[in-house]
Amino acid sequence: MKILMFTWEFPPLISGGLGMACYGIVKALLSQGINIDLVLPTKEMVYFPLRQESDVDTLPTVFLDPVQHKEFSTQKFSGVRERLEYIGISHRPESYIQMGEITQFYQNVNKEYWTSELVTHEEKELWEEMTVNLIGDEDLMKKVQEYTVRADSFARKLDYDIIHAHDWLTYPSGMLAKKISQKPLVVHIHATEFDRAGGPGDERVHKIEHAGMMYADRIISVSQYTAQMIMSRYRIDTGRIRIIHNAFTLSDDMNISKLRIFKAPTILFLGRITLQKGPDYYLDVAERVLKVHPDAKFIMAGTGDMSRKLLRRSASLKLRNRFLFTGFLNRSQVESILRAADIYVLPSVSEPFGIAPLEAMAYGVTSIISKQSGVAEVVNHAFKIDFWDVDLMAETINHLIENPAICAKIGHDGMVEVNRIQWDEAAEKIRHLYASLASEYIKSN
Amino acid sequence: MLNIVFYFQVHQPYRLRHLNVLDIGSNESMFDEKLNKFVMQKVARTCYLPTNKLLLDLIHRFEGRFKIAFSITGTAIEQFKLYAPEVLESFQKLVQTGCVEIIGETYYHSLSLLYDTNEFLEQVSMHRDLMQKEFGYYTETFRNTELIYQDKLSDLIYETEGFKSIITEGVDRILQWRSPLFAYKNYSKNINLLLKYYKLSDDIAFRFSNREWPEYPLTSQKFTNWIDHLTLEEHNNRNLFLNLFMDYETFGEHQWADSGIFDFMSAFPGEVLKRSHLGFCTPKETLQFANYQQESLSFPDPVSWADEERDLSAWVENDMQKNAIETLYGLFDRVKQKGDEHLLKTARMLSTSDHFYYMCTKYFQDGDVHKYFSPYDSPDQAYIYFITALADLEERLG
Repeated sequence: MKILMFTWEFPPLISGGLGMACYGIVKALLSQGINIDLVLPTKEMVYFPLRQESDVDTLPTVFLDPVQHKEFSTQKFSGVRERLEYIGISHRPESYIQMGEITQFYQNVNKEYWTSELVTHEEKELWEEMTVNLIGDEDLMKKVQEYTVRADSFARKLDYDIIHAHDWLTYPSGMLAKKISQKPLVVHIHATEFDRAGGPGDERVHKIEHAGMMYADRIISVSQYTAQMIMSRYRIDTGRIRIIHNAFTLSDDMNISKLRIFKAPTILFLGRITLQKGPDYYLDVAERVLKVHPDAKFIMAGTGDMSRKLLRRSASLKLRNRFLFTGFLNRSQVESILRAADIYVLPSVSEPFGIAPLEAMAYGVTSIISKQSGVAEVVNHAFKIDFWDVDLMAETINHLIENPAICAKIGHDGMVEVNRIQWDEAAEKIRHLYASLASEYIKSN
Repeated sequence: MLNIVFYFQVHQPYRLRHLNVLDIGSNESMFDEKLNKFVMQKVARTCYLPTNKLLLDLIHRFEGRFKIAFSITGTAIEQFKLYAPEVLESFQKLVQTGCVEIIGETYYHSLSLLYDTNEFLEQVSMHRDLMQKEFGYYTETFRNTELIYQDKLSDLIYETEGFKSIITEGVDRILQWRSPLFAYKNYSKNINLLLKYYKLSDDIAFRFSNREWPEYPLTSQKFTNWIDHLTLEEHNNRNLFLNLFMDYETFGEHQWADSGIFDFMSAFPGEVLKRSHLGFCTPKETLQFANYQQESLSFPDPVSWADEERDLSAWVENDMQKNAIETLYGLFDRVKQKGDEHLLKTARMLSTSDHFYYMCTKYFQDGDVHKYFSPYDSPDQAYIYFITALADLEERLG
């Protein structure tokens, strides 16, 4: 079975959990014999034919244009990274597309695929909902437009059984590929605009999300929490939603042994410093805990649009050198910071899943996770607290600091528990979903 | 008679590395040796060496009639020795002429006066010892970091044996109708006060190369004419002192060589000494030349020479600055109890005022000056590195 997969992130092109999740899913699917042609927002017009497990790290590359590919094959690269830089994977795609071009494109596709008499009224409406809203001059919108324009070629030139699109950025591409090929479409919800914005968010994104979900044959939701959101906010028919939880698999070269930085208890926030992740609640918790345990160390690891605000507020609260910012951390630095932490806090306001706590637990770090998260559905050996209940979070941390043996025990139990939450299980569910869609497709044709 | 009193501040801080939480415990140096070396060698080339040479020539040319004063921080002397020993030698040569006064200050160019009196007195005494050792010079005039001054400082300096004068800013809100051209006394009338004439000082230090400035270009003749004009003020044969105080890096670094700053300085003493009622003297000589009852001035609140405000707001105004400096001084007692010389040295290197200056968030034109002097992208970055350094320091304390 062969999948045409659209995603916006994949290591090393990564900014958050989406890339981590796609990596885990794709790797496990490959090990179960699924072939995947992966399309990323690269600078050059390439795709990645992934056929075996190790391909997730080497990312074999093919230019869609045979002439370009021939030239590319003669290039010598010193390593994978250099080859990926050549095709522009370490950067977001640079978009030079003009509004005029995208309008022209829509007119062309409309003529070609959407004006025939076979197209239903409902289908036309969804297509309009997507095209009308994929408009805007922002960098991201232009990149999505360009990615969608390219999807037309991928959809026509490649051969596949199922289309799989991750998050709204690739839904328009998924829709287009389905229209062109008539193959079943799976959209995978890692987060909705409601989660990201921590409020109503961007109307255009909602509409594109809605159109994508409506047009898809199946919707994968990363949690019950997210499935509820999809049903209530987007009015999606329950029958087409499948809940497949994310997972976490430790790679072989990871070192999870403790390596302390501070003698004092070390509490960690790890993620984007943005409204969705609740960094301000973390600061409130730190202030409360430091009144009782003035030696504790709170680390805020990551970057984001709220960094400056949080930094200034931590200074005004006079938290001395007990509240520290790391800035952006690369993978090996993330490993180091997890090895140094005793307690991990995920105070997200809305977290569709949340892989980071699984990773923290895999390192034996005792975790406190927001009840408003999908990950809370899959783990038992962690504290689950409402993101707004900073008093309870502070009390819990105080309790753990005062009882290090309990803290260590829960950390250990969590590690054992997380080791059973493997990507293989999630991949198997996805594989079954593919299989049933493929047989439905064969029956209907 | 109007005496021009030149005092130049020579200072280089130890800039911090881009410290990360993960560096804590590595026991490596917190300071950016590469950058500090680069800056020192660059400033040596553009400023210290050529300006020292120029001043030495001028001193020889005018046979004792051209005089100047330097205040050189301990952190600058240390970095001369590490990265540009020839600079220290050229300063020593200048001092040997007898026409140069060396001024006392805190060894680490710190704000310890405001946070830790004992530490302040220790740093003052360390600096005096260093000047003895490097220049064979016993300091009698004091300048506190960034000319920060308040009444309390004069008490501490009076109680420290040997100091007779203090240099500070000629702040309008203190002087009011009075002229900074006179020597004054502190509030308890036991210390001589010399006040910077900021308008003419800043004409050289800040405005010299500014093409938007109506007086551009500033020639030594024009400048001397302005000074001459000052002597027209009613002064009943009282000796006047024109205190031109500025960063030494003005020459060749803040004002580049192609601005003509060296030509200006080279011609200036000759222009002055052409006129019989103008001359030069050093800060400590003002004591013997002050031929009148010196009025006493009270500074109840701290003043400084920085920015428009001339207060402490360049270093301790925003929350980042306050949290950083309070945390640092909160650690000093423990560092001293620990008795580890290396850690104490590190804490003192962190006490240099520049670290807090980099965290300044004041905007308007002053913000530009802060940005110009900062090795970091933003005040927030400077704060992150500093607070991380303090976490590291405390961890090393055990």
